[in-house]
Amino acid sequence: MAEPAVRLAGVTKSFGAHTAVSDFDLEIPRGAILGLLGPNGSGKTTSIRMMMAILVPDRGTVELFGGFPDFARRSRVGYLPEERGVYEKMKVLEQLVFLGEIRGMERKIVRRRAMEWLERLDLGEWAAKKVQALSKGMQQKVQFIGTVLHNPELLILDEPFSGLDPINQEVLESIVLEQREQGATILFSTHLMEQAERLCERVCLISKSRKVLDGNLREIKRRERSNVVALEFEGDDRWLTRLGVTEIERVGYAHHLTLNARVDRDRILAAAVAEGVSLRRFELLEPTLREIFVRHAGADAADEPALMAAGGAR
Amino acid sequence: MKQARRQVWAVLRREYVERVKTKGFIFSTIAIPVMMLGIIGLMTFMAVRAEQSNRQMALVDFTGQVGQEVARRMDEAGYDVEIVDAQVGLEELDRRVLEDEIEGYVVLDELTVQEGAFAYRSKDSPGPVRGALLESIVVETVLELRLSATESAGGVRALLGGDRLSFERLGDEAQSEVEEAAGLVSGIAGVIILYMAMLMYGAFVLRSVLDEKRNRVVEVVISAVTPGRLMLGKILGVGSMGMTQLGIWAACAALIGLLGVPMLAANLPEADLSNLAEALPGIGALALLLAYFVLGFFLYSSLFAAVGAMCGTEEEAQQTQFPVMMLLIVPFLLQMFSLEGGAFPWMDWAAVFPFFSPIMMFPRAVSGAVPWWMVGMSLVLMVIAVGATAWVAGRIYRVGILMQGKRPTVRELVRWVREA
Repeated sequence: MAEPAVRLAGVTKSFGAHTAVSDFDLEIPRGAILGLLGPNGSGKTTSIRMMMAILVPDRGTVELFGGFPDFARRSRVGYLPEERGVYEKMKVLEQLVFLGEIRGMERKIVRRRAMEWLERLDLGEWAAKKVQALSKGMQQKVQFIGTVLHNPELLILDEPFSGLDPINQEVLESIVLEQREQGATILFSTHLMEQAERLCERVCLISKSRKVLDGNLREIKRRERSNVVALEFEGDDRWLTRLGVTEIERVGYAHHLTLNARVDRDRILAAAVAEGVSLRRFELLEPTLREIFVRHAGADAADEPALMAAGGAR
Repeated sequence: MKQARRQVWAVLRREYVERVKTKGFIFSTIAIPVMMLGIIGLMTFMAVRAEQSNRQMALVDFTGQVGQEVARRMDEAGYDVEIVDAQVGLEELDRRVLEDEIEGYVVLDELTVQEGAFAYRSKDSPGPVRGALLESIVVETVLELRLSATESAGGVRALLGGDRLSFERLGDEAQSEVEEAAGLVSGIAGVIILYMAMLMYGAFVLRSVLDEKRNRVVEVVISAVTPGRLMLGKILGVGSMGMTQLGIWAACAALIGLLGVPMLAANLPEADLSNLAEALPGIGALALLLAYFVLGFFLYSSLFAAVGAMCGTEEEAQQTQFPVMMLLIVPFLLQMFSLEGGAFPWMDWAAVFPFFSPIMMFPRAVSGAVPWWMVGMSLVLMVIAVGATAWVAGRIYRVGILMQGKRPTVRELVRWVREA
């Protein structure tokens, strides 16, 4: 059990002139939950496809459970690809039974378990319907059941929550966390920073085919000191503009000030005292994942449409 | 091993059940034989009606010597002949032809008695069969008339009577005429069944592979099942469906035979049906058909699976499957050509080529046109070819199903096969 669930070492993959993943190192210990974060086109899906031996890396090694991702090891994985591939003409339950069977499960057992899962995800009455009759979101849930049905030791989920309504997102999130409590290792990719922050114990940030940083989220946050100060006060706020702070954001009653080289905490406090404003709150905010990402990958990486959209998703 | 069997079985069952359940399967199982019977029935009906509707003939005899006899013989041959008095005039007869009262009429005159020349007047050409028949009737009658003046009429008549040629086959395989005809018919039927079945079921395998690749289900499936098992299960599944369909048709045909023949015998007491049993294909021919179907299906469907794995879209698949289709169409055309009488000795050897064997060797085998060792050789070569093709196609399949983007070039294909 000592060996990590997933290990990538120096993995590089190019498609023609385009480098999709460059010199990627990653270790996911057993029992961890890791979010693979990055904007669209940063190399998340390519990395995942190499873990599943769908793509072969140009350089470097990929290991699952301490060895080459062969069939025996891959069948211990529950893999949810980014494309929502389903047998459209098959009935929902039949499809799940098939997916269980090819992983070596008894037909009777898999049928019962699939039915339990369908009931749990409010799809019980759809069991005998053809998959194509289901909405996209429901199909996604069916596919998700197919991923966890055989109680895999490792879940590799490529954008598992995208396209779902908030209620279903929460349902799937809780199942992912439950799987983890039962001992599974979980890797999921997302471009939703806030979601990763909520679910993950470990994160790996990638941008433009390179890893930016990875590790335990709390440790990262502790290490990455914030440069945002939240201020609440009574009175005129014009004095703030004279400080030399370039980024001021109004959040409810508070002002969020992003510090820079010329303006530090002491300078703001001093200015407040000098102006005679009555302060009600002065707090150094913990950096959000998004801020950390921007700090490491550069603002241009974070300003890609995907991340912008992600910022306003919730 | 157990795992492998279970996986292949799961893929096979999915492929089989999902196909047999469809409306398309039920429809095609019913519609194809109905359609074929319908076409055969319609063609027979039209031919019979065409032949029966224009058998009304007239005959004008200006010589007064041969008219009666020609009319009698035409009557024997199944024509409805009315002898018209020479006084009536040809204009009147022309009018009757143009108004479709009669199909045509025969004019016999002095030249007929001298040289056998006569005229047939009609709106439509008599065609080769009717032309030859009328000619032989007239010539025989005139010959008889002229010879009877010199010899005894009876001897001449015997000489002129039919059935002069009796054919005696030499060699070790003495076959009755019925058996030979049966061999030919079951050969043709077998060729058509094999051709259609392999084309149709091969296309199913292609579609199945292509669909799985396109909607990316294959990425999930392949995380648990090896590509070889997946391909095998798929081919076995589609093949089982094909066998089911062919089996249903065979059972229906047998049922019709069992119920229909006694009924026919009861309604047509004068017809001789004793030869019918002989005309049915024997167990040997059916076993051979099955062998060629199974081997041929494996051979072509693994190629179709490779084509499906190479392509990303329906259009690409349409183009890419062309070489594989040619492997079916070429022997089919060669076979049709040799049925037309254009057989060359090298065709027997072409029939040994594994990709041509099902369509070209099966009819040769059942009609006894080739020695048995050639049949055996073709079967052995097919087994080897199935193995080799599965190996190559399996490698293309393994790489292809996970490959997105453009279709590979021939050079890339060779690399896939080498490196897979």
